[in-house]
Amino acid sequence: MTKTVKAIVQRYNPDKDDAPYFQEFNVDYEPGMTVLDALLFIQDRFDSSLAFRWECRGGQCGSCAVKVNGTARIACRTKVDPDHPLRLEPMEKMPIIKDLVVDMAQTEHRIRRIRPYVARDKPAPRPEIIHAEEIETLREIRKCIECGACLSNCPVVHETWDYAGPMIIRQLARLELDPRDVEDRVAMALNEAVYSCTTCKMCEDICPKNIPIPGLAVELLRAKAVEAGYQLREGQQVFLDSINKTGRSVPEKSTPLLKEIETEEFLVENPRGRVAFFTGCLIDYRMQNTGKALIEVLNRNHIDVIVPKGQWCCASPAFRTGDMHTATAAAERVTEIFEHAMEKWDLDTVVVACAGCGKTLREDHRPLIEKKHGEPPKFKVYDLAEYLLDIVGKENIVPPKGEIKMKITYHEPCHLGRGQGVVDQPIELLKMIPGVEYIDDPYKNRCCGAGGGVRAGLRDLSMKIAKTKKEYIEATGADMVTTECPFCTIQIRDILKGTAIETRYIPDLLAESYRKGDKN
Amino acid sequence: MTQPPRYRTITCDVLVIGAGGAGCRAAIEAAKHNLDVILLSKELVGKAHTAMAEGGYNVSLGNVDPNDNVETHFKDTIVGGNYLNNQKLAEILVENAAERIYDLEEMGAVFDRTPEGKIAQRTFGKQSWRRTAYASDRTGSEIMVTLVEAIRKTSVRVFDEMFATKILIHDGRIAGVTAIDLKYGDYLIFRAKAVVMATGGAGRIFTVTSNAQLDVGDGYAMAYEAGCELIDMEMVQFHPTGMVRPESARGRLVTEAVRGEGGILLNNKGERFMHRYYPEVMELAGRDQVARSIMTEVLEGRGSPNGGVYLSIAHLPRSIIEFRLESMIEQFEDAGVDIREEPMEVSPTAHHFMGGIKIDTEAAATIPGLFAAGECTGGVHGGNRLGGNALADTQVFGALAGESAAKFAKSHDLAGLPREDAINEFQRLEAMLEREEGISPADARKELTDLMWSKVQIFRKEEDLQYAVNELRRIEREVVPRIKVDVRDKRFNPGWHQAIEFGHMVITARMVAEAALMRKGSRGAHYRVDGDPNDLGYYNIVIKKGKDGEMELRKQDLVITKIVPPGMEAK
Repeated sequence: MTKTVKAIVQRYNPDKDDAPYFQEFNVDYEPGMTVLDALLFIQDRFDSSLAFRWECRGGQCGSCAVKVNGTARIACRTKVDPDHPLRLEPMEKMPIIKDLVVDMAQTEHRIRRIRPYVARDKPAPRPEIIHAEEIETLREIRKCIECGACLSNCPVVHETWDYAGPMIIRQLARLELDPRDVEDRVAMALNEAVYSCTTCKMCEDICPKNIPIPGLAVELLRAKAVEAGYQLREGQQVFLDSINKTGRSVPEKSTPLLKEIETEEFLVENPRGRVAFFTGCLIDYRMQNTGKALIEVLNRNHIDVIVPKGQWCCASPAFRTGDMHTATAAAERVTEIFEHAMEKWDLDTVVVACAGCGKTLREDHRPLIEKKHGEPPKFKVYDLAEYLLDIVGKENIVPPKGEIKMKITYHEPCHLGRGQGVVDQPIELLKMIPGVEYIDDPYKNRCCGAGGGVRAGLRDLSMKIAKTKKEYIEATGADMVTTECPFCTIQIRDILKGTAIETRYIPDLLAESYRKGDKN
Repeated sequence: MTQPPRYRTITCDVLVIGAGGAGCRAAIEAAKHNLDVILLSKELVGKAHTAMAEGGYNVSLGNVDPNDNVETHFKDTIVGGNYLNNQKLAEILVENAAERIYDLEEMGAVFDRTPEGKIAQRTFGKQSWRRTAYASDRTGSEIMVTLVEAIRKTSVRVFDEMFATKILIHDGRIAGVTAIDLKYGDYLIFRAKAVVMATGGAGRIFTVTSNAQLDVGDGYAMAYEAGCELIDMEMVQFHPTGMVRPESARGRLVTEAVRGEGGILLNNKGERFMHRYYPEVMELAGRDQVARSIMTEVLEGRGSPNGGVYLSIAHLPRSIIEFRLESMIEQFEDAGVDIREEPMEVSPTAHHFMGGIKIDTEAAATIPGLFAAGECTGGVHGGNRLGGNALADTQVFGALAGESAAKFAKSHDLAGLPREDAINEFQRLEAMLEREEGISPADARKELTDLMWSKVQIFRKEEDLQYAVNELRRIEREVVPRIKVDVRDKRFNPGWHQAIEFGHMVITARMVAEAALMRKGSRGAHYRVDGDPNDLGYYNIVIKKGKDGEMELRKQDLVITKIVPPGMEAK
């Protein structure tokens, strides 16, 4: 018997319908079926007027982007999940022409206003000599097929067209990187609000050509802007000055964790492993209890924890905003501190509890250090949840016994999920806590609006994004939202003020369950 | 019908129909003359089939092999074309390929480089030297992206998702076209002093094709209906291995490297059937030979349930597959097949039309004011196209057609408007929506593509071709006028678009079948199993709509400038 999948397709003809509505179709499932196959099936079998775009069916033309279960992707390379209904909607932000076909005219005009071609001040010589090294990065960023999915998924564009969006910022970077182009693309990028990007990497994640737009375009243009002498926003500069002066991005308030704890060594009997703990600024200066909870959780799982004193900021704010001077100095210093710790305490693993720090150590420090010194930092970096699930192993985790009877959802920090590929592990940990009813949020991986220097520099925009995030969280009906990033925690706590929904850090919650379990 | 449909009229100097490699290039060239240029694109601009070309662009720069030159490129092209090429056009191709690739670089294209910083060139089939310029395996995309960037720099007015349906002629001269706006369903007349056709190919008239969905032969049919001459329409290139499933991937190319690395072809009995056909070279026989062998298996009932055969590399070491066929692993992963473990299902796929609108050395068609470039034209590639010559064709003839159209527009006034013809056309399109009873385009299309696929494909014989011609005449007479769209909406209604396309597909298919029936011997891509061995085939077949409305075919002498085909000297 043929397996059928329920496809729920948004229909809308603005000439006739007052509002979009959904129509259901039963699609005969075949192994390997793509979303485009499903659409063609419906068109051939049920309704030849169902409107959607497609051309090449091989991921080359970028015609067929639609929202598949909430996220825009190209239909021809997106698989149908036979066990779940398939919800198809048109891309966001662009007016609907009919059904799944949207009007790209505004996008086209926005591209045109950046003069999106190589501008030369003299005729090209024939032949023109261009060396492979000059175009290495350019080739990477040039694969864009203008499907528009990144614009639909961008949390910033979702709030405001003040930001040109990933696809267009990418084109500016493509031209900035072209040795033949003579226009001031940095000034254009600033006009197109390049500092609005939260570097959430949603665009990169769904890009059919895997173009790392935040790293290769946004941060590149920001770095060029800083290099050219443009000033950062005051709220952003304060962090950088602080990093350079104190090694911490924020000022001290209460006693920092590293001062409060008396020892660098938290050792257990018969350890099954030993790690160094990279605290990051916020856990050290603002969320000391979370830091202690993390040490406790690791110790309870028979892991020695080393907390080197004199730690330094990973300089994520500098990487994100383009201050490469501060960024490079910090990367060198952090590498030195932890390579020293490796030798002194005979360990090879660093555990991080901050999504932003983890992402920066892995994605930014490694290539930078490798480029400068010929080899990347010698230590391995893990997120706490990742370390527990993947290294300690689920079967070896000491089960937390204290009951926490709550409906709990999860916010996936951008720099944990898309930044480090840690998606399921935090949820697994949550589910291990007795009493927890985990509620999945289909939008759990949407940005909270804090990152990329946006909370620091453009607070209004940041709060708009957070407000949308709040709506997603509230829609889950959970009593508590948990996460694994101090920056997200602060932002979400801010926006959930006045609601009954608590915001907690996962290590805190775990530690609480362990402690409750001790009492029973 | 009570009242004629409403329409709008838009006027310009040069109208370019089609926004692939050739159309964009033509529009850019015409716009250099400070004329009002309109580019009609059936899809969103930048999404044309050109973007799917992978391998490269042939140009005898000699950057890697310094001995290469235009003469060798010319010779390879003519020999590869089985001597049927219009040698004047082939000369234009090879002589201008270099300047046109430099144009692309000037516009911003990024081709891969040699160590000296020049454009790198690689080996391609049937060529004497490494001649093919490339940008990784996405050369067509690189060119398409560049042309779109360049279009955005010009004053060219782009009308995207506009479907031109009919060429308008006034007093024997080009007057414009009728079109529908796919987005909103409006009827339009585009008037112009000169028109460039750059409408691409028609792989979609076959069940299985590597072509994008819109390559249905609109340009061939429109030119034919307008009274243009078309040439070499029987010459259709099939690639032996295309994907069979999933449905939306059917016909997607499976690179020859799979067989090069040791892949074997098997039928539904598990037999390595190439033993039967080419025991000495087996799977590495020529493309046309392998394609014919596969089709024989399928037609004789030894194919897979989905109408293909099996291509297996599961016997090879995993490391070889993973290292050398990386992209094939990905492509088939998308299809739910792990090629390291399971065989691929493949079958030949319609790939390229060598034939098309007959043009002269100015890219002019046989109607004054009408020009054409790219795959919609015939003559450049003869009986078989070399890989890498198509992208060069789009740029060389695109620029030439744009230039010629601009010159024509500058020296002519706007032709009169044959309003009645336009209104008749709109009423024809309207009738598809209003018809109470009729045949659905999806069913009609299936009948047509299955007919072409079974009777007019890789190897051909008199009775099949005669059958196909009879059937196509019947379809033209009985099915086309009864096409009915299920839902009457005009706003973005794919059912309606397919209904209109269907008429174009039938005319194109008929030209292919009628010319194939006329050509009794095998030559180039046209293989007759019942071929007349005495028919060397050194002629071209020209098709034109006769005064009585019937399709007229005639043989024409080859256009020879330098290379006399072997065996022809004696005669």
